[in-house]
Amino acid sequence: MLVTWRYRPRKSIIQSFDPRAWIIFFGCYLASTLLFWDLRYLSFFLLLALIVLFTSGIRWKEIRKAMLFIGGFILFFSFLTFLTGRGGMELYAEEHVLRELKASFHILGWQPSLLISAEKTMFSISMLARVFSIAVMTILIPYSLNPALYGVTFRGLGLPDKIAYAMDLTMRFIPTFGRDFSLTMDAQRARGYELEKISGGLAAQVRKLAPLVVPVTIHAIAGSEDIIDAMDLRAFGIGPRTWLIKLTYKPRDYFLIGFGILLLVISIAFSLWGWGKFWVPAGLLALAGA
Amino acid sequence: MTKKLLSVILTLVAVLAFFLGIWLIGRLINPSLNLDQTALLRFVFVGIGLLIVFIVYLATRESKIWDVGTREVVYMAIGAALYAVFSYLFNGTVFVVPSVSQVSLRPAIAIPMFFGYAFGPAVGFFTGAVGNMFGDALTGFGLSPQWSVGNGLVGMIAGMAILFKDKKRSLNTVFIISALVAAIGTVIFLLNKTIPNMLFYDVDNNIFGDQQISWFAGLSAIIGLVLVVLVRFLFRDNIHVAAAVTWSMLGNFLGIGFAAISDIWINGFSPAVAIVGEFLPSAGPNMIFAAILVPILVAAYAAVQRQTGR
Repeated sequence: MLVTWRYRPRKSIIQSFDPRAWIIFFGCYLASTLLFWDLRYLSFFLLLALIVLFTSGIRWKEIRKAMLFIGGFILFFSFLTFLTGRGGMELYAEEHVLRELKASFHILGWQPSLLISAEKTMFSISMLARVFSIAVMTILIPYSLNPALYGVTFRGLGLPDKIAYAMDLTMRFIPTFGRDFSLTMDAQRARGYELEKISGGLAAQVRKLAPLVVPVTIHAIAGSEDIIDAMDLRAFGIGPRTWLIKLTYKPRDYFLIGFGILLLVISIAFSLWGWGKFWVPAGLLALAGA
Repeated sequence: MTKKLLSVILTLVAVLAFFLGIWLIGRLINPSLNLDQTALLRFVFVGIGLLIVFIVYLATRESKIWDVGTREVVYMAIGAALYAVFSYLFNGTVFVVPSVSQVSLRPAIAIPMFFGYAFGPAVGFFTGAVGNMFGDALTGFGLSPQWSVGNGLVGMIAGMAILFKDKKRSLNTVFIISALVAAIGTVIFLLNKTIPNMLFYDVDNNIFGDQQISWFAGLSAIIGLVLVVLVRFLFRDNIHVAAAVTWSMLGNFLGIGFAAISDIWINGFSPAVAIVGEFLPSAGPNMIFAAILVPILVAAYAAVQRQTGR
């Protein structure tokens, strides 16, 4: 049985556009965001993402689980970035120390310490803004894109029929396999399997993952026969595919596509000029005595 | 040349011309322009990766391995969805699979390897590339398209096994190429033992990517190779398991190698950092999954085939 994303028709900005126009805009937005590390530029993208989120008509109750997971994940990694400066080494060579904290105790000879620098702090904030903007825009897609339109949308974007249909099925299968995984895990737990206690050597740990990975995979393959039969009975792939619903661009869709392309072109131009690179406010550097 | 082929070539040429144009125009605007700071190179490497796939396709297009029917469409979707879900669960924070001696575990990589081997290179490529893309989207990792293409190559190369009627003979060639890649990687590690493991977070020292690569992580490609030899020895009567594991090994080395080497230009890494700091700690441990999970999946799938008769 297929499980679906929590889509429902809503009166919102995102759903007022043709899904193809939205996907094109999303692609341009994504590529544009990746061109910047400057918080001032990223704030624009964050604002755009928040406008889309708050006008999406999606209730907190519906999106809570996904937002808490992804939000928690992003916060965790941003905090880790703040602690360690991971990834920042590629953007800045010098660090201006704001404060160095040292614990008053030792753990097995190791003294926990934290070096807070202006660069590390700004890098983690910029990263938070960057990843959160992308995540918000991404997470909205399954909630606002009608599953009945997945295939025709990808076909309308120029993908061949078969690839468009494969993309359609992929999006439909993701929540289903997520459910299957949790059912399998419950079933294995009932048999005494404890994922939380995975231990031992590398090979032993890998082997212990098999009771989760193998049943879900094999069940998916075995279950696919019904889908294959149903598609074959409808002569899938014999000739050019027709779709039940026809998508037609409206003027507002052209406007959105134009806006997306303009955003990308401006972002590329800024990037070529060297604008929007990693930025640390002068005030923060002054605090560090620079 | 068919119309379809011509349109693919023209599209690829147009994409490369677009980025070349940006590079040339960009240098006029900003003489000190470093393309690695613009994120555009990620997309250039997507183009290069797709070009590699296209060249392989051109060279083998007479073969039926590239035919995509109903069955392949469904397996593409299943593979990509499974890869995305497992990536989300195991690479994210849902289940933090512990790391051993700087080696973190990515069990999901067994999916493109298995799907590629069992259902062909087209299914393998789609599973790796699209699955990685959806997995990154689900976990909020953002976009690393060159790594998606690298994962696609893992699945595609694993699927090239179907090209050879005599699987046993092809295995030796594949094994020698893989052994060479592993040997080169290991020699580079031995010459650059002080390079940090870019994929490991050292909790004790509170540093990410600054701890010197461990011996275990540095030698993981060779350890993986030994594991594959062991699997081939243990399953010497089961050619499918031996072929799946050996081709997956080559796919893993070349696919992950492509993504890691692209970081020389994208992230400005030196070749030694890309190979020792990125390629070895990711491609090496992947071999452990190729050697353990892929044979289990191949055996389980063979049982399903026997049961259903398909």
